[in-house]
Amino acid sequence: MVKRKLGALEKVEADLPNLQHKIRRDPKSYIEDFRAQHYQYESHREIFMAAPSAATDTGIISLRELIDFISHVADAYPEILKDFPQQLIDMLMQHHLVLEPELREKLVGSLVLLKKKDLLDSATLLQTLFPILISTPSKTLRALLFQKILSELRTANTKTKNHKLNRTMQTVLFNLVSSDRTSSKALWAIKLVRELWKRQIWTDAKTVEIMKEASLSENEKVIIGGVRFFLGGDKEREEAEDESSDDDAVDVGRIKHQLGINKKTKKKARVAEKALTTHKKKEKKKNQPHALNFSALHLLHDPQGFADTLFTRHLQSSKAKLNLENKLVVLQLVSRLVGLHKLHIMPLYSYFQKFLTPRQPSVTSFLASLAQATHDLVPPDVLEPLVQKIANEFVSEASAGEVATAGMNAIREICVRQPLAMNETLLQDLVMYKKSKDKGVMMASKGLLSLYRDVGASMLKKRDRGKEASMGLRSGDKLAKRFGEQESGGIEGLELLEKWKEEERRKKRREMGLPSDGEDDEEDDEETNWAAWNVEDDEDSDDSGDWVNVQSDVEIDLSDSEDEGKDKNKAPPNKKAKQDDDTKKDAAADAESAFSKLATTKILTPADLAKLAELRAEAAVGAALPGSKSRHAQSTTRHSDDPLTAEEIEGLARLSAAKQTREERIAHAREGKLDRSEHKSKEAKRKERKEEQGKSTTNKEKARRKNFLMTIGKARSKNKRSLVETRAVLKAHHDRQKRGGKRGNLGN
Amino acid sequence: MGSSSKRKKEKQKDFQKPKLKVGKTRAKPENFTDTSFKSKSIVLNQQSLHLNAPSSNSVFTHNLSLLTSKSDSQRRDSLAYLTTSIASRPVNSSLPQPVSVMLPSLLPLILDGNTNVRTQLLKLLRTLPRHDIEDHVAQLLPYIRAGMTHLAADIRVSAVEILSWMVEAAGEQVVSCPGGWIKTLNCFLSVLGWHTEESSKWSSNRASFGKSGSQGRPMVKVLGVLAEFLDAGIGQHDAGDDESPEDDGYSSLWPFPLSCTGQHMISDSSAPYAYLNLFGQPRDEEGEMYETREDRFRVFSNRFMPVIERGVKSAREEGGEMGRASSGVSKVLKEAISYGPGA
Repeated sequence: MVKRKLGALEKVEADLPNLQHKIRRDPKSYIEDFRAQHYQYESHREIFMAAPSAATDTGIISLRELIDFISHVADAYPEILKDFPQQLIDMLMQHHLVLEPELREKLVGSLVLLKKKDLLDSATLLQTLFPILISTPSKTLRALLFQKILSELRTANTKTKNHKLNRTMQTVLFNLVSSDRTSSKALWAIKLVRELWKRQIWTDAKTVEIMKEASLSENEKVIIGGVRFFLGGDKEREEAEDESSDDDAVDVGRIKHQLGINKKTKKKARVAEKALTTHKKKEKKKNQPHALNFSALHLLHDPQGFADTLFTRHLQSSKAKLNLENKLVVLQLVSRLVGLHKLHIMPLYSYFQKFLTPRQPSVTSFLASLAQATHDLVPPDVLEPLVQKIANEFVSEASAGEVATAGMNAIREICVRQPLAMNETLLQDLVMYKKSKDKGVMMASKGLLSLYRDVGASMLKKRDRGKEASMGLRSGDKLAKRFGEQESGGIEGLELLEKWKEEERRKKRREMGLPSDGEDDEEDDEETNWAAWNVEDDEDSDDSGDWVNVQSDVEIDLSDSEDEGKDKNKAPPNKKAKQDDDTKKDAAADAESAFSKLATTKILTPADLAKLAELRAEAAVGAALPGSKSRHAQSTTRHSDDPLTAEEIEGLARLSAAKQTREERIAHAREGKLDRSEHKSKEAKRKERKEEQGKSTTNKEKARRKNFLMTIGKARSKNKRSLVETRAVLKAHHDRQKRGGKRGNLGN
Repeated sequence: MGSSSKRKKEKQKDFQKPKLKVGKTRAKPENFTDTSFKSKSIVLNQQSLHLNAPSSNSVFTHNLSLLTSKSDSQRRDSLAYLTTSIASRPVNSSLPQPVSVMLPSLLPLILDGNTNVRTQLLKLLRTLPRHDIEDHVAQLLPYIRAGMTHLAADIRVSAVEILSWMVEAAGEQVVSCPGGWIKTLNCFLSVLGWHTEESSKWSSNRASFGKSGSQGRPMVKVLGVLAEFLDAGIGQHDAGDDESPEDDGYSSLWPFPLSCTGQHMISDSSAPYAYLNLFGQPRDEEGEMYETREDRFRVFSNRFMPVIERGVKSAREEGGEMGRASSGVSKVLKEAISYGPGA
């Protein structure tokens, strides 16, 4: 070994960071120094263990610094530090209550660091941190531990799912939740699970089982935590996914362009490379098959049992001590479960009975829950008294407009799900309100009317039925469904696909110069279909990428005149208005045959399915536009998983002009219009855009802004020009303009 | 361009001098922060007024509490006061405060950054009565070991000095208390840099890190203390001394029918059952107590003999003061080996 020269730095009073830095570079030569520091640590530890609570800051180097130092260089000397992780764990586990906060945090940080250096496995780390998280009274420590545990679980699951770790952790959480039902410690399990669910790290049934246990606990906070997870967890997950997908979106073209123009430095090249790799990675991710994510409500084992217990334990029993708000949340979950899984909880409907008065606080939520709890297998005689009661309590000439609207909307929502819950006299009575002066009431009544035109036209008075319904009744294919009758299944949006295909065919034929309605040879069509088997291959159908075409000129379709009945098949509303009468009739008549034609005669290629999804999204966006915001469209586009909210029950009550302030009205008018900025001239907008992109102004702009004193000389000389000179200048200018600038436009 | 004059103005604004006017207070700077506050009353927390002068005992306690003071000179002065008051107390009178009370505040000072404080501490320790120290050796040793492996060379040296005093005062306890033998020897090796073959060579840079200047005198001192320590641990003198008085004393104390009763009586040392370790953490091999010379010699010959012999050899080859100091160690080693594992 060559003798080392003593550097100037080494002569200074030595400090640990300096030594750490040197060990990093050359661990072998500094082993003696490290050993000395390790002994130092051992002695300090001994001192500390003798009196953990009375740990004073000893001298110029403290135990905390030593731990920090050792854990940073631990990977260089694994055999000297065999016991080091265990020592730290012991120190933390035994004395975390009395440790001074800084040392405690350092211990946690060092353990995580050791895990990063692979001197400690993640199971041990989690088993150390989690019990402390639950038991410690310190808020800061809890926050730190929670964050560390979460990030540990995330990193353990980044490359592939670490099933073993997940299973042990889930078991720990499950035991925590189910062991002591009265304690609020289970909140930590809920918090952790919810976060992991949101980030799609845990998406399996076991996770849901933990939350199920939590919502059946006896602690109010824990119950609500669990229930809220079921009600909002999936939405949260979707939002998080959206966010992560559209954050740091890099513009590759722009980066490449800048790279060509700007000064070339190593740093810039590195930044560009990094951006490109992230972009590539993202592209790759986009093309990967999407993981199936079931919503938490679908992953439940035994939803009937769960809903039953929830209802009996938290709502029905007299011992339940939830307040109204929390009760409503639980009720929401129960009713969603009932509606989604078509469960039968008979006492639930009689439970609703006593809450259905206008005086009940947040009655709209109760109404929404009731509607949500209704499905087509609920016996009509259970629902009928409820509907009757709502009608009696809410809907009368004397009651306020909002109240009547809410009642009527609730009745409609119930009847959408179970049309048999209505009797004839009541329906005819309610339909009479379509002439009401209150807009909300009028709209609600019309909604009910159009619903029953579709599902039970025979119950309406003759003049209310409308043309189409009466024709359907006469021909006998508009019969009301009987209890328990099931529709034959179909594929959502299939008719959209069919329509699209038809249009494409016509377009093609038109291009070829044939009459657009004629038959073309099937083989050709077939061939193209098989060629387009892969989604990635066919460029023409995929050219729009993720963009969905939104039609800008949508006709407003709010009026429903007496003669024009609305067809309730799932045609998108924006196209409906354009169809001529013949096709409409055809569509109505061949509802079943249309399905069988496409789905049974042809195999849908992946390209077809992709197009189908695209069309479905398009239709949904079209329906969300303000123009087509009819009640109908909303009820058809709502997915069965989506909850029914109190706002929907309140409905158009907020439209009643007198009740709104000006700001509210403006906000309502703005609602559908996507982020429209203030009005500006085209030029101003262009200038703004250029400035945003960091581009400079035009020559004209520069000339205009030039300092007056700089131009004055030229202006003066202009005055002194002779006529000939002036002519020459003007001519030159004219020529230049003609050519298109000084250098001319080479294209001409 | 167009805005250049405007920009110039803006720039100028930053360097404008505030205008001062006669008879008016100066304008406050822009970044002025108002730190004044209002209070209904002012409470002085630690004010105590006495007519009588404080008793010497209370002054002693006060100075003891000042040992944790932030200022170096304050700590040193307090130590000096404590030293004089202990040293000048009447003969055979007890200490103003028991050692067990004083030690917790004294011990951290072993690792104090200031040299003067440490020297003063050593002076204070020297004034303490020996038999009081004997019971607290186990408490003292971790601090001394921490000092011996400290990054700062000065602290290492003074820790070694304190150890030297302790070996002199309570050698038997030092080597036999838990962790006292193996751990302390390890620290010695690390101070001397003798752990590995490579690092014990004369050509290698011994104090490769930390403040140097520890090449000459300090190493000599460490070698000397190592010799004392080894002598206390595995030297033969103490064993010989112990046996003969025991036989005499016990035979006279316990008359005929009783034999070896002294062995069955409770020992008169302060912690006779410490080796059972009933209440502490479980100990490993390094932290174990090695109470007899036999044990210590076994451990020493297994783990440290070759290392120390190698180190001593290289120190002798180095010559000079180091060589002379190493002869002390080798003498102790020779005696210990000749005595063997013990009778």
